[in-house]
Amino acid sequence: MSHEPMHRIIRLKRYEQPPEGYHENFLKEFHRRQRAELLKPSISTLLTERISAIFSDLRVPAFAYAGAAALAILSGVVIMRLTPSSQAPGAYSVSYSTYPVTIQKMQPVSLRVEPANQLPNLPSQLFPPSFLLQARPASHESPLSF
Amino acid sequence: MEPLMSEMPETLQNNDHELVARTQGGDPTAFDDLVVRYSPRLYGLIYHMTSNHEDTNDLLQDVFAKAYRSITNFRGKSSFYTWMHSIAVNMTINFLKKRNRRQHPSLNDPDSGIENDPDFIAAASTIDPRNEISIHELQKKLNAAMQKLSHEHRVVVTMFDIQGMHHAEIAKILRVSEGTVRSRLFYAHKHLQISLHEFRKTFNAN
Repeated sequence: MSHEPMHRIIRLKRYEQPPEGYHENFLKEFHRRQRAELLKPSISTLLTERISAIFSDLRVPAFAYAGAAALAILSGVVIMRLTPSSQAPGAYSVSYSTYPVTIQKMQPVSLRVEPANQLPNLPSQLFPPSFLLQARPASHESPLSF
Repeated sequence: MEPLMSEMPETLQNNDHELVARTQGGDPTAFDDLVVRYSPRLYGLIYHMTSNHEDTNDLLQDVFAKAYRSITNFRGKSSFYTWMHSIAVNMTINFLKKRNRRQHPSLNDPDSGIENDPDFIAAASTIDPRNEISIHELQKKLNAAMQKLSHEHRVVVTMFDIQGMHHAEIAKILRVSEGTVRSRLFYAHKHLQISLHEFRKTFNAN
């Protein structure tokens, strides 16, 4: 299928040109737009100016700072009061746990030291006897208590 | 089918390097020379894609503004000619996508001045010397037929049929293979033949 006739028809469109003098004025228009672009502030600059203008228009009374400080102190006290009281004396609790683990009675795992030759399968140097008392609880006191 | 001779001779393309280097060095007058050199050609490219003079003017200004902002990043891997055309094509396709979403495109009325253009009259008269074809009608039909094409098809028709660029040049600008360019041209011509069948008959009669 030959496309030559189609090519000849479409080629006629090349005669469609802009108005006379367009290309002569194009450069001037380009320079004008470039200058306008330079004068136009960026979005970030505009936003900063707007925000600073809003805050500069706000008149903050002198007692507002003292009031804000008092409110902050009061809030702190209320939060501390709402904190649960400490556990019963003598009991250890693991802090920062969703469900506090309480150990009521402590007993050593073993007080007898086995001779090394009686445990042929376990290297005693690697696993020396240990006691639960050696372990240190995460905290002796409940958090946020004075 | 041979395209028209490319309007951008190789010597001019070679001179681009010097102008680009001067622009990158901070000489804005060198970029002015590039604008003067490329604006007629890029105007044609954008206009035949949009079929609207106002849109073309705005887009062409944006194309040169973008090129000016990005020229420091131009490393010369491709020619400046290819680079400029790529910017123009990409921006025009993006614009057309937005315009199609926004509203139905409003095409310009055919140029009134073209009726007096002796070249056009001579070219149009060869279509069918026995029957007087309204030049206005021909222009309208051509523009309408072009707008019916997809953006990808329209751009290859514009560059090959109207601007006379070679397949290899078009392939570089669009970053596709030459085979893709030929294939797009084939399908575009097929669609145009359907839209312009009445004119095709008169052509074949000659």
